[in-house]
Amino acid sequence: MSVSANDSRKVSLRAFLAKYSVLIAFAAIVIFFAVASPTFLTPANLFNVLVNNVVMLAIVALGLTIVISSGGIDLSVGVSVDMASMVFVMLLAAGYSGVVGVGGGLGAALIVGILNAILITRLNISPFLATLGVLFIGQSTQQLATSGGQPIYLTSGYASDQFNAIARTALFGVPTPVILLIVVTVAVHILLHRSVFGRYVQAMGAQPGVAWYSGIRVPRELSMVHVLCALLAGVTGILLSATVKSYVPLSGNAFLLDAIGATFIGTTLSRERKPSVIGTLLGVLLLAIVKNGLLLVGWNFYWQQVGIGVLVFLVLAVSFGLRRATH
Amino acid sequence: MQAAKREIAVSMSDISKRFGPVRALENANLEIERGSILGLVGQNGAGKSTIIKVLAGIIKPDSGTIVINGETVTALSPASVEKLGVHFIHQDRLLVPTATVGEAVFLGHEIGFGPFVSRRAMERKAADLLKRFFGMELPAGTLVKDLTTAQQKVVQITRALAQKASVLVLDEPTAALVKREVDSLFDVLRRLRDDGIAVVFISHYMQEIEKLCDRVTVMRNGTDVGTVDPRETSIDEIISMMIARDVGEMFPKRSVTLGAPVLEVANLRLGGGFENIGFKVRAGEIVGLTGLLGSGAKEIVQCLFGLKTADGGSIKVEGKQLSLSTPVKAVRDGIAMLPEDRRAHGVAIGLSVRENISLASLRRYSKSGLVSRRSENQAVDGLIKELSIKTPHRDALVRELSGGNQQKVAIAKWLSCQSRVYVLDEPTVAVDVGAKVEIYNLLNRLAGEGAAILLLSSDLLELVGVCDRVLVVYRGRLAGTFSGPSMNSDALLAASSGARSNADGVAA
Repeated sequence: MSVSANDSRKVSLRAFLAKYSVLIAFAAIVIFFAVASPTFLTPANLFNVLVNNVVMLAIVALGLTIVISSGGIDLSVGVSVDMASMVFVMLLAAGYSGVVGVGGGLGAALIVGILNAILITRLNISPFLATLGVLFIGQSTQQLATSGGQPIYLTSGYASDQFNAIARTALFGVPTPVILLIVVTVAVHILLHRSVFGRYVQAMGAQPGVAWYSGIRVPRELSMVHVLCALLAGVTGILLSATVKSYVPLSGNAFLLDAIGATFIGTTLSRERKPSVIGTLLGVLLLAIVKNGLLLVGWNFYWQQVGIGVLVFLVLAVSFGLRRATH
Repeated sequence: MQAAKREIAVSMSDISKRFGPVRALENANLEIERGSILGLVGQNGAGKSTIIKVLAGIIKPDSGTIVINGETVTALSPASVEKLGVHFIHQDRLLVPTATVGEAVFLGHEIGFGPFVSRRAMERKAADLLKRFFGMELPAGTLVKDLTTAQQKVVQITRALAQKASVLVLDEPTAALVKREVDSLFDVLRRLRDDGIAVVFISHYMQEIEKLCDRVTVMRNGTDVGTVDPRETSIDEIISMMIARDVGEMFPKRSVTLGAPVLEVANLRLGGGFENIGFKVRAGEIVGLTGLLGSGAKEIVQCLFGLKTADGGSIKVEGKQLSLSTPVKAVRDGIAMLPEDRRAHGVAIGLSVRENISLASLRRYSKSGLVSRRSENQAVDGLIKELSIKTPHRDALVRELSGGNQQKVAIAKWLSCQSRVYVLDEPTVAVDVGAKVEIYNLLNRLAGEGAAILLLSSDLLELVGVCDRVLVVYRGRLAGTFSGPSMNSDALLAASSGARSNADGVAA
């Protein structure tokens, strides 16, 4: 950003605000809740936020970050979460081992991803409409498979142990889900920001025609994008079931809008409004902390949604508004 | 057409229009007479379409006067100009494909009561009009998309007539028509002329102009350079009026010794596009390719990059037979493409210079799927220097670069790939003169390094200035190959308008 000397200070302050509006909002919110609620900054509460609100959403959002980077959208992430969760729970209930359960769950998510990929790359349906269709089909499938949406609870000792093995253990004092999130974050970061595949994804997102004219196998790379997103959502589905020890039909849908919100909040970090792994993680943290904080200061669930909506507007408007002014 | 007194329907005088630094029109004049067919000709960029858009109310002129039917009009809009009886048949069909013929004819002027539309009345009236004017019978309720291009033109003309058009402007109406359809369209236009309607006919096809028009206005460099009677003036004279002679020092000289054939095309055929196309491009050679819109020249280039799949024939690069069904294969086989629409297909303006340059050759700079930034940076910096791309640094966004430098980034992408064949599709469109010269220099250097270059261009001066040889395509066939002294813009324009063929008398 080159500027003349006399107003460089004003401009650079604006640029700074524009670039770091998420971080500034983040800091402000943490300070606000720390003052407003005595329990907010306690280790127990932060741990709870991390394990229950951050990890699962973050894994879904990271998958969605890949899709949004490619210029598309996946409205069926919730279906991938649910399908993985459903198959995982059903397999364990039928007495299969945890390994089989995880494999089956991921397989179910994989099928959702492949279905999306076929609709988008073979039938040339726009990602929005293709995944919207899969969302509808996926929701009905769950209701049909569970006699109208009955949850499946697992209480038998063996199966419970399998759940606990995933959700409630820790390695060197770090809970397994958090370790999983770190692994996924590093992997997606390398994939999206360091690999050849990631470059192709960025190119398709920036200008699909240029990608095609550069000899990139656009259909193949796009298929990969959607399969990866579904698989990551599947990981969350399994974590979810392991945490709540059950499968509740359609519970995955809750992730969709939060994941989209987190990814777009994250785009404010980049001048070109490109999604990034770091940005998405920040977005997820912001949403999780606001939800938790509002709960602690006594807002009910519905007011929480209002709070989050206002927050998203503020961050995006401040960031983009200031950025436009600096150009 | 020996009307005793000339009745002027539209008179445009001293029209000027600038787009930023570009002078699109400079004191241009156009006079349209009732009961007469006026041809409007000029090279691409001469200002034909701009002056027509001014008349259509799409572009506001900076200065000038427009008089329609004796009335001076100041603010024109597409709606108000239609009310004055001036109608336009634009080049690309502007009918709603899913509408019926009746709906299309009365679009914007529906028949009915209040908010209700009587489709049946419209169908009946449209059928009446079609039959009365053109003797054409279509089943009621025929959809526009089921009509041939010629029939669509007729429907468009009918729409104008239904609204009592007194001036009819047709922009390249024959581009997508076959000979028989052209003849019947001409009959229609002559009939309209005899009924006293003023017709303006814009075309690149000189033979059509000669056959149809009563007068021809020639435009060059944004102004009218003369109006002639085509029965008294030869096509060659008209063409020489169209071409400016001051070429200047735009085209750098070069001397190369040609190597072995790199690109060999034989018997190439595409249904509805072209047939029997064969030529060779040797290492170090720059071969030009030109043809009017719809001639098939564009499609040849698309087939060479796998954007369209040829129906027959062979394409060889360095002796290897290729099957090009996608750009993926073309790139792998060493073919590079500089597309006409730079922003849609050439460079991603939201990505950095570095990301654009390495995009087609990332595998070179990566190990086990991960990009090595060091080797990428090295290669990119080398190319930025080699092509003297003016960019603050390699990570600057391409958006921030000038058009010419963006085009250089697009070329650098293929240099990084070490492509053998460069197919360029109008590489200097929307690039300023200085950058043009740089791009020409770059082409010379590429050729000097042994690349084979095929340059598709509609800028005839550019072709003459840059190429060793120029192939002209006319209605899907090679109409001539020009080199040496026979390669001049008069000859190229004549051949691409179908006026003359094969000046060299030799095949490629």
